[in-house]
Amino acid sequence: MKRETIVAGHGGQGILEFANWLAYFHLRQGRHVAYTPSYGPETRGGKVKCYVVASDEPIDSPIVEEPDLLIAMNIPAMDWVPRLKPGGTLLVNSSLVRDGPDRTDVAVDRVPAAELASALARYVPEGGRDPSIAANSVMLGAVFAASHEDRERARTAVKAVFRHFLTDRKAAYIPLNLHAVDAGFELIAGPPVPA
Amino acid sequence: MTEERAFLKGNEALAYGALRTGLNAYFAYPITPSSEIPETLAAEWGRPEYPAFKVFLQAASELEAISMVIGAAATGAKAMTATSGPGFSLKQEGLSYAAGMELPMLVVDVNRAGPGLGNLGPEQTDYFQATRGGGHGGYPTVVLAPASVPEMASFPALGFDLAFRYRTPVVLLADAFLGQLKEDLSFPDVPAPTYDVSWAATGARGDERHVLSSLNLELMDQSRHSHHLLDKRLRIAEQEPRAEEVDTDDAEVVLVAYGICARLARRAVRLLRSRSVRAGLFRPITLAPFPARRLRGLLEAGRRKFLVVELNAGQMVEDVRLAVEGGAEVRSVGEMGGLLPSSLDLVRAGEAMAR
Amino acid sequence: MTAAAEVYAPTLGALSALTGKATHYCAGCEHGTLTRLIAKAIDELGIRERTVMVSSVGCSVLAHEYLNVDAVQAPHGRAPAVMAGIKRVRPDLVTFAVQGDGDAVSIGLLELLNAANRGEPITVFLVNNAIYGMTGGQMAPTTPSGMVTTTTPAGRDPVATGPPIDATKLVASFERPAYVKRVFLPIRPTPAARVYNARGALEGARSVRHAFEVQERGGFAFVEFVSTCSVNWKLGILDAKRYAAEALEPLFPAGLVRDRFGVEGR
Repeated sequence: MKRETIVAGHGGQGILEFANWLAYFHLRQGRHVAYTPSYGPETRGGKVKCYVVASDEPIDSPIVEEPDLLIAMNIPAMDWVPRLKPGGTLLVNSSLVRDGPDRTDVAVDRVPAAELASALARYVPEGGRDPSIAANSVMLGAVFAASHEDRERARTAVKAVFRHFLTDRKAAYIPLNLHAVDAGFELIAGPPVPA
Repeated sequence: MTEERAFLKGNEALAYGALRTGLNAYFAYPITPSSEIPETLAAEWGRPEYPAFKVFLQAASELEAISMVIGAAATGAKAMTATSGPGFSLKQEGLSYAAGMELPMLVVDVNRAGPGLGNLGPEQTDYFQATRGGGHGGYPTVVLAPASVPEMASFPALGFDLAFRYRTPVVLLADAFLGQLKEDLSFPDVPAPTYDVSWAATGARGDERHVLSSLNLELMDQSRHSHHLLDKRLRIAEQEPRAEEVDTDDAEVVLVAYGICARLARRAVRLLRSRSVRAGLFRPITLAPFPARRLRGLLEAGRRKFLVVELNAGQMVEDVRLAVEGGAEVRSVGEMGGLLPSSLDLVRAGEAMAR
Repeated sequence: MTAAAEVYAPTLGALSALTGKATHYCAGCEHGTLTRLIAKAIDELGIRERTVMVSSVGCSVLAHEYLNVDAVQAPHGRAPAVMAGIKRVRPDLVTFAVQGDGDAVSIGLLELLNAANRGEPITVFLVNNAIYGMTGGQMAPTTPSGMVTTTTPAGRDPVATGPPIDATKLVASFERPAYVKRVFLPIRPTPAARVYNARGALEGARSVRHAFEVQERGGFAFVEFVSTCSVNWKLGILDAKRYAAEALEPLFPAGLVRDRFGVEGR
């Protein structure tokens, strides 16, 4: 298995965090991973792009030139669409991006990440932030489903991901983020089939 | 891959690698894109896991930091500092003195784009400065070039080993890409080695003094010392060159690359082979001493075309040309300014050469 | 025995902290005096086997040839940083440097002041002879206005090059240094020929010892020794002593500026 991903959006969307989570998720699945951040000088509102490579074999180049998977979190991120490998998958943050891609040789899933996250207000810790901050976790769940990850294994792995990254005061947001992952997964793969 | 694996930036991995090999002292001056090294060490300083790590100190300048390394190293401590190009220029002063006094130390350069302030992207433009003894007086330094996050973690141990065995400063030449790249890795559970430091200046024992000086006003004394340093350089060149080879056995074109470029070249080799070009990779791990004899061996085994990939206007290509002494076609391809050559660039260059 | 005899009497006997090698210092230079004062203090305190001197660049660059202690060479001006490196990893050692005015106050001012600000437990002896001696008489940061040097042939112009820098005042401007003092080291020729007042050397001897004691108590110690350089001042030895008293002493008045641990009162 080898999967090359580009995650693109703007500052403040938690792109780097998302890419870290995705890379660490693969690592928890026993895969080799490479994560390359690249960002402009701005800390907010700039273009942010990350490469995430996951592979069962050692990774030669960490640079993604033809992604299997593109996660477009805003409109400028759609500039990467021509690079997408034929047969690849595009996940569009439809909360911000209305138009679809002008390609028919790729699978497209539209994810209203902010809307789905906003519906999870009940999992926000008391006095906490707006649930829409979990939009990137919704997208993470969508990525798992679109990548045909096993639902239960993915859930176990992503718990470890959140425990690794969301520490101290952020730990209170783990339930919100786990539910957001479930919401994203369900959007693509449908609700879990009862055993 | 069942054991718990770490997921770290190259700079962080380097810091932990240094800690695990018994780093005693780190003297810092922050500069992007190397600052995660001091930040990581500052966070770990004082923790019981690293009892040998006695000193973390932020200096007021690059010159002060390298001079502090000199002081600590003179007592036999495992001392280190890290910087990027603009700071590496300043480190040359201390490196020259350290080479003259034969002090073991580790100096890390996370190469960014230049000259001058340049930008924060990756380049390999400090190759000459690192491998030629970039300061005054002409002196050898050992230069190691990691190409992955696991190597960023394991090379401090290798660096200190060479530094103490030969009593020489060692430069670890990384780049902005490797510093910021995150990969999975595991740390080998090896105890931190100790070395003979009977030469260290920690107080005279009776009449036995330890005078670490690079001053030899008598011409014969300096000549003797310079020849001693030369002998050491030759010994290191004889025993320590390291290189990795991939698919060179039948290669019609051998890509030569170090650091992040070796990763790009590895992919290019695969792509070239999928297009029926028999490509191979020769990756110098020690840039100084340059693995010239091994490269020469490839020539003698019939490899006649070498394509050097580096993030500069052509620096290592000179060492490749010296190694093959006109016996092979040597071409250079690369990028600058913080950009990287694409696979297509490398494949085209490889195909053009194979023709 | 007079006080002066107490200082100079050991010249007749051997000091274990001296190698016994004749120094290269010019006749009449206070570097030679200071070398002996340091050796005497090291012997008295019994710290020779845990002392590491840091050789600076300038006339004191060869001090390790004369002082029988371990030594490390510092790049020009960086002695306080090298000492900090030594002392941070080995607080049990005693470290000091003899720096010239060019070394400490020009090229190494950053290292001196930052070590002072951090209160590194190290000892800096500054020999201020108002000129670059080793390189042959160029303007120093402490050169008085109007003084002729090889790089100020018309005399130092303070408009172009700034007035002389008072290093003791700079060091004392920081909170952490524990011992800051300036000593006028040259002998003072008196009107009566061949009668000299060596009170400076006596004061110097005490100050050197105190500066080591302060380091042992964890403090940054700095002693500036106003000195002469008859060769580069192009004066006779005694004329240089007179010039120091007339031209340097008013600029760099001797005195104890700080003694946090009260070592002088004991």
